[in-house]
Amino acid sequence: MPGDKLLDLVEVSKEYSGTKVLDAVSFSLHAGEVHCLVGENGAGKSTLIKILSGAVQPNGGQIRLAGRVYSHLEPKDSLRLGIATIYQDIDLIETLSVADNIYLGDELRTPLGFVDRQRQIRTATQLLERLRIRVGAAVLVGELSPAQKQMIQLAKALHRESRIIIMDEPTSSLGHEEARALMELVGGVIAGGVVGIIYISHFLDEVFQIGDRITVLKDGRMVATHAKGEVDPSQVIREMVGREASLFYNREKVRIGEPALQVSHFSRAGAVKDVSFEVREGEIFGIGGLVGSGRTELANLLFGADPADGGRLYLHGQDITAGSPHRAIANGISMIAENRQEDGLFLIRPVKENMVVLHTEKAGPLVGRKRENALVRGMVKRFGIVASPSQEARELSGGNQQKVIMSRWLLSEARVFIFDEPTKGIDIGAKQEIYRFMTELAGSGKLIIMISSDMPELLSMSDRIGVMRNGEMVKVIDAQGVSEAELLEMFLGIAAA
Amino acid sequence: MDTQSGRAKKAGSALGRLFGRQSFFLVAIILILAIAAGIINPKFFVLRNLLNILEQISVLGLVAAGATILIISGNFDISVGAMIGLSACVMAMLLKTGMNELLAALIGILVCVACSLLNGFLSIRLGAPSFIISLATIGVFHGAALAATEGVIQTIYEQFGAISNTNLFNVFPLMFVISILGFVFVHVILNNTRLGRRVFAIGANRKAAFLSGIGVKQNTLVFFALSGLLAGVATVVLLSRLGAALPTTGAGLELKAIGAVVIGGVPITGGTGNALGTFLGVLLIGVISNMLNLSRVNPYYQEIAYGALVVLSVAVSYLRINAGRKY
Repeated sequence: MPGDKLLDLVEVSKEYSGTKVLDAVSFSLHAGEVHCLVGENGAGKSTLIKILSGAVQPNGGQIRLAGRVYSHLEPKDSLRLGIATIYQDIDLIETLSVADNIYLGDELRTPLGFVDRQRQIRTATQLLERLRIRVGAAVLVGELSPAQKQMIQLAKALHRESRIIIMDEPTSSLGHEEARALMELVGGVIAGGVVGIIYISHFLDEVFQIGDRITVLKDGRMVATHAKGEVDPSQVIREMVGREASLFYNREKVRIGEPALQVSHFSRAGAVKDVSFEVREGEIFGIGGLVGSGRTELANLLFGADPADGGRLYLHGQDITAGSPHRAIANGISMIAENRQEDGLFLIRPVKENMVVLHTEKAGPLVGRKRENALVRGMVKRFGIVASPSQEARELSGGNQQKVIMSRWLLSEARVFIFDEPTKGIDIGAKQEIYRFMTELAGSGKLIIMISSDMPELLSMSDRIGVMRNGEMVKVIDAQGVSEAELLEMFLGIAAA
Repeated sequence: MDTQSGRAKKAGSALGRLFGRQSFFLVAIILILAIAAGIINPKFFVLRNLLNILEQISVLGLVAAGATILIISGNFDISVGAMIGLSACVMAMLLKTGMNELLAALIGILVCVACSLLNGFLSIRLGAPSFIISLATIGVFHGAALAATEGVIQTIYEQFGAISNTNLFNVFPLMFVISILGFVFVHVILNNTRLGRRVFAIGANRKAAFLSGIGVKQNTLVFFALSGLLAGVATVVLLSRLGAALPTTGAGLELKAIGAVVIGGVPITGGTGNALGTFLGVLLIGVISNMLNLSRVNPYYQEIAYGALVVLSVAVSYLRINAGRKY
């Protein structure tokens, strides 16, 4: 039985430089319900949350809240109107106690104006007991487990009398038992009938367990809202992935040759478990899996950026295992990292220096400007980069930034290319060019490993796909003829494909 | 940013680069101040006075040139003043024992390089910011100098005098020429060598530098060694000028040097900047203090003026960067 309507989003839209990330999405929340939001990476879930927390301003639509209509919210409004967002990366202050965190910003005071710690701890303890959270109010937050921190955030939100609580992938870093305890707490909070929860999760079993309604988003559009019991997981999966064929890139296939790159028994405690596979000449080997399944961690091991507990890498039988990026580069391994801006670019340096950094490292102690300029001109032309070589890298669009990084690796004369989310945040035109480049590389005898969360990309670019789950490569499949739904089921580990 | 504004940026870049650079403003400010100083006090443009300014900024110039490399790379060494004090005392004591001047100078320079390397090593080994490490080693270096000299002034009489008394072509103070060579040295490193590229790369994005195969730790040590080398040369010049050393010799130079680097356009977060900017920053400091001297302004107020100058230059660079930020 739904209580009063707490929130009504009416046809809310958001676009970034011409790309619609939310397209007329409507969404409502009642007191006493858990409304789950599901969709693939990039479906628009995060944008929707950010609109509610005031971090992002929509381009159109209405937010109806507490009897008023807003065109957008500021972070301050959002808090005042009782919206609390519990993010994946927990924002509690680790060096303060549980009680101090709960009362942060509106501390209880003694008549003299000092913080009344005794009273805070007393009242916080009552709150925690009422919620059946077994954590001492005087304990430092830094000493709590991830699940307990999530619970404290929930308690904090309730203390603030927030009525709309948004939980973003709350269980993604939790173990099974912890996740269950958190879900129980959510159930208890909802039973009060005052609060409504927007619950976002990749884990469909959770969603079906606690959700009263389920809304499916896909490519920024709302596909459907289902009431509990009206739908089964396989239909939701179909709705999450069903997509027009136009989004699939039709790539030229290259003749596949002999196995050339051998990845052998790579492990790292807590991240990657004994991963082995082979990449054949001319092949693009895709790696798929949910966020947190160990894909990027595997790439970091192959590139020597993180220490491996074990594992060897062979190219044509020759051992090219690298203990550091420096060795990896010398051995002809390249990695186009997932976070271009944090791990790839020197944002405040000119495009030119960004491109030639590996070349400069190889070339000798003095910088040869003429040679560098010629190389840079060649790359700018080859990739059609819209930027001057002297422009700072931060001023470029995502697509051009990615092209700068690819130029860098091409100039390093690498033989093995590891692409981690090569087209994340890149517009469709630049995507096509990056795909063409990857196909060209494969054709010219380079060995390519591509990690991607973008299902159409993974399916249309890869020859084979290694599926990762919980740090293991659970199976390697032929990309030909596999549907998105089947692939997603393998990622989730439900049903038999 | 979309491609269209990228194109617009390209078109306006030649003009933009000239006016956008801090160097352009610095030259303008220095000229305006110099003209104002000349009008107020005609003595300002007397050749002797101009050469005086150049002499006065020589030591600061060398220290600031070294600091430029460190700060661009994202590091700080605020123990430079104390290390100069230690090195000056060591050199003076060696000279008093009758040691050959060249050898004493060499040892003095090595003392600075070793001190600087210690800062770099500790910072890397402990994974702590070099700012904090060098804050701690100030005490170490200063204490070592006090222990060695027992607090007694070390007078070297006429030794080392050649550096401060020589004028090239009977005009240019040798001290200033050495200082300029220091700037040229830093300029060449930053602009023409792989090492220089590493300074910028590490300062702009350590992680990306590491993932590009750059040995972040080893190279950071090299940057510290270079800064120590320049501080060592500065000590030799300073000792030659003063003719005596105390543990407090050189105290405060580090902050003036950092100020000059910041005035010269290097952001405190590093990653970008050039030697010319720092030189102009040092020159600006020299011109202002000379003006105030000529006007017989109490030296205490000079300190205030210097502080205000640093605040002003920080304001110029950061107000633009942080425009529109609410936190």
